[in-house]
Amino acid sequence: MSNDIFFFAEFAAGAPERSALELAAGAAELAAAGGGDTVALAYGAGAADGAAGLGAHGVARAVVLGDDAPAITFGPAAAVAVADAAPLAVLAPATPNGRDLAAALVGIGDLPAFGPVRAVRIADGAVESEQATLQGSVITTSRPVEGAPQPSVVLVLANTFTPVEGGSGSATVSQAAASDHPFTRATVAEHHEAEARVVNLEEATIIVAGGRGVGSAEGFEQLNELAAALGGAVGASRAAADAGWVPYQLQIGQTGKVVKPSLYLSAGISGAIQHRVGMQTAEHVVAINKDPDAPIGEFADLFVVGDLFQIVPKLTDEIRRRKG
Amino acid sequence: MKIVVCIKQVPATTAEKRYTDDLRLDRASTEAIINPLDEYAIEQALRLLDAGSVDAVSYLSMGPDQAAEALRRALAMGGDDATLVTDSALAGADEWTTATVLAAALDKLAPDIALMGMASDDARGSLVPGAVAAKRHLPLLSYGSELAIGEGTARVRRLSGTGFDWIEAPLPVVATVTDQVGEPRYASLKGIMAAKRKPMETWSLADLGLGEGDLRGGALTRVTDARPPEAKPPTERIENVGADEAATQIADWLASRKLI
Amino acid sequence: MARPGFRRGHARPSAEGTRRVTYRLTDDHLELRALVRELAEERIAPRAAEIDQSGEFPWDLKELLAKQDLLGAGLPATYGGTELDTLGQSILVEEIARADATTSLIPIVQKLGALPILLAGSEEQQQRYFPRLASGEWLIAFALTEAAAGSDVASNRMRAARDGDAYVLNGGKRFITHGSVANVLTVFALTDPGAGGRRGMSAFIVETDSPGFAAPRVEHKMGIRGSPTAELTFDDVRVPAENLIGAEGEGFKIAMATLDRSRLSIAAQAVGIAQGALDVAIGYAAERQQFGQRVTDFEGIQFMLADMASQTEAARQLTYAAAAAVDAVAPDLPYWTSSAKLVAGDTAMRVTTDAVQVLGGYGYITEYPVERMMRDAKITQLYEGTQQIQRLIVARQVLARAGVGKRR
Repeated sequence: MSNDIFFFAEFAAGAPERSALELAAGAAELAAAGGGDTVALAYGAGAADGAAGLGAHGVARAVVLGDDAPAITFGPAAAVAVADAAPLAVLAPATPNGRDLAAALVGIGDLPAFGPVRAVRIADGAVESEQATLQGSVITTSRPVEGAPQPSVVLVLANTFTPVEGGSGSATVSQAAASDHPFTRATVAEHHEAEARVVNLEEATIIVAGGRGVGSAEGFEQLNELAAALGGAVGASRAAADAGWVPYQLQIGQTGKVVKPSLYLSAGISGAIQHRVGMQTAEHVVAINKDPDAPIGEFADLFVVGDLFQIVPKLTDEIRRRKG
Repeated sequence: MKIVVCIKQVPATTAEKRYTDDLRLDRASTEAIINPLDEYAIEQALRLLDAGSVDAVSYLSMGPDQAAEALRRALAMGGDDATLVTDSALAGADEWTTATVLAAALDKLAPDIALMGMASDDARGSLVPGAVAAKRHLPLLSYGSELAIGEGTARVRRLSGTGFDWIEAPLPVVATVTDQVGEPRYASLKGIMAAKRKPMETWSLADLGLGEGDLRGGALTRVTDARPPEAKPPTERIENVGADEAATQIADWLASRKLI
Repeated sequence: MARPGFRRGHARPSAEGTRRVTYRLTDDHLELRALVRELAEERIAPRAAEIDQSGEFPWDLKELLAKQDLLGAGLPATYGGTELDTLGQSILVEEIARADATTSLIPIVQKLGALPILLAGSEEQQQRYFPRLASGEWLIAFALTEAAAGSDVASNRMRAARDGDAYVLNGGKRFITHGSVANVLTVFALTDPGAGGRRGMSAFIVETDSPGFAAPRVEHKMGIRGSPTAELTFDDVRVPAENLIGAEGEGFKIAMATLDRSRLSIAAQAVGIAQGALDVAIGYAAERQQFGQRVTDFEGIQFMLADMASQTEAARQLTYAAAAAVDAVAPDLPYWTSSAKLVAGDTAMRVTTDAVQVLGGYGYITEYPVERMMRDAKITQLYEGTQQIQRLIVARQVLARAGVGKRR
């Protein structure tokens, strides 16, 4: 048993995802508190080459799980690495891949699971996590029971930790052992690229999101311009994604992305509970809606009652003017 | 070819929730429904049944006695039979416990595909399906916007960062589907009537060969505190002003918070 | 001095059927209610305003109800129906009407049109028509009313003359709900004009693709605007003799037996309309702020809501009791169904009017559904016997019970 903190570091196109850098910061914070090391479980395209570079983010060691394959196939190797080191905790991003890997650890290693959490700390030598459950109606604090196996597996929401930049260290890299676990039998049978490049919403600190009220794919053009003026990305509600106005990768909510930007500006989104759970932890929420009774008005910080088609272009102009 | 759809009974989204003294949801006094995301798994299974790709659809749930209502409701939508695992030792089960129990029940039911919703409305960890697959030593096909069955294989269409993939694995598998599979059907009146005659079994932990030692006291985690979310500052409103004025006020608001 | 019968009637008003009228909602009823409520809230309510505005028959919702097996509710299982008891059928209608009165008429009229065949039709007729009606493939309508004979059914004029192995129908009908969208009709016509309406009328099954049949006009109405109310013309329409329901001359009896039962559907519809309006009123009042407080904090509003709720509940319980009377074939069945329709229809009118009042100006505009509900409610005081006719029936029943004969 150790006081090390492991975390899953997903790579794409040769570079760590923002989630990897956030979790590196979180793991380093927890490791410092417990007096252990920060260890990355690196996977994805470019993980083998990029893992050493995680040292710049406070990572002492990196175990490379594999390169380009469905994330779940790396679960067994991760379980072996974790079982060998018995760290205090393993942090995983609350993304589909992160959840698959966390679940693999829990099932293979019979480990306690937490999350998705909005805060995690070490208290009395164990992980203590805070999560919103029942659609955010209650905040619970949880710990492993006495004598529970180590590590605790913790799913962490995006933007729970802030990446630490500017370090210069290099992590010690090792290769995980190969596995013949049934999880490795999942293969990519077909691969389809979308026509347009899709932004990773979890990386955006400013999101302009549109819903049913935007009315069409063309309507999203106005939101694109506002997002560009603000230096942010465009997201959408499920209604807008179902209507085909934007790709599903941009869907925010219970069954889409869970985001936590510093500014979330919505237009034409009523704010059903399923959407709310995907963005309720945003720092600042501004909502534009023509219905004065829209539920989003109850939890936005600033609620603007009006026609988005008139307000959004004017707001874009105003922001461009102020930014010069 | 047989699918077992695992469903969970959850408090209705709009229901008022009450808590017991030990900080657990008082499920007996809260209006309960089938976890809405599980309904998509049911729909996916029934579509495969309608298409003749599978021969039987069964349901499995773990929960208190009243979870039988959720199973009855699923049977009213279609499918053949259902099993409820219920045991007083399961109150307060966490994700590891749930996965352990479902895995044992699925070992007995031995389906080609164990199918689940992508998340549960009341917890959203989405860890149970993967943990069940690990415990049963089977491949996991997760987050499918569609589930298809091939020659000795199953595959799911899964969204990727830049498009989508078809992920494939040899049967038997554990799979999960998203809300993109298509809107769940409504139960028909004849479906409701027929559901009453469909077989439903109830299993205890003993029926699954699980003793107290296997469940390590019922859970690996415990809730130490439950409280309402922090009160948020009241919403500021901009209303009854022209678009120019609204744009200016929004920009002022953003600037005062250093967001532009 | 009081008549002995009157005294006895007062002390012990329990005619045989009356004693048998008890009911209890079973789990099946509650499940049915949950099923229909879910459909109504998710699929029917969102269409209601549009249907009202366009005045178009909601074919999509007819398909939906058919797919969920809700159009064969009262028909035998052997012919594809679901054999719901009358209480179950009332719940079905009530829950749909709570969302949209127009759509509730689809199962109501499907039953109304089929009732003559159910009550007096031959095995062959049931076998031929019920499966298509139960599946919703065909719609049926009930063609009794004529322009000059509304409440006074016995003075109908339409003729049916025997001609070999067929009857030839001539004349017209008016105010026939779904007359222009139905595939088949139950039509009442005089086979023996000399014997008058009561003894000379017969009932027929007429398929609407028969040559000589037309539905030249539909009415522009105040409410239930998506439900076409048609004028029908019969110009030498030949109907096979095997489509005669019951025997010649039984038409009036069949029509009355049908209405004695079918008017309960209208009571259920009225209860649903009232409940829908009450729900909107409560929801609105709980949100609405005036003079710095919620309007539900005002006693004046509380009293209105209390009256609306208790009256709606009373109408519902009477309707359910009447449903039990229909299933028990109580001898005083008309007393129950007419009382229920009388009370429920008046309640729907009063409660929807009050709902508009609770919403104030918002109640009067189409942004909120209560003005539509108020317009829809009015018809429940008019069709399947006006409230005045219901009073005549109830009075006849209570006087008979008390031993008071008809005045000669």
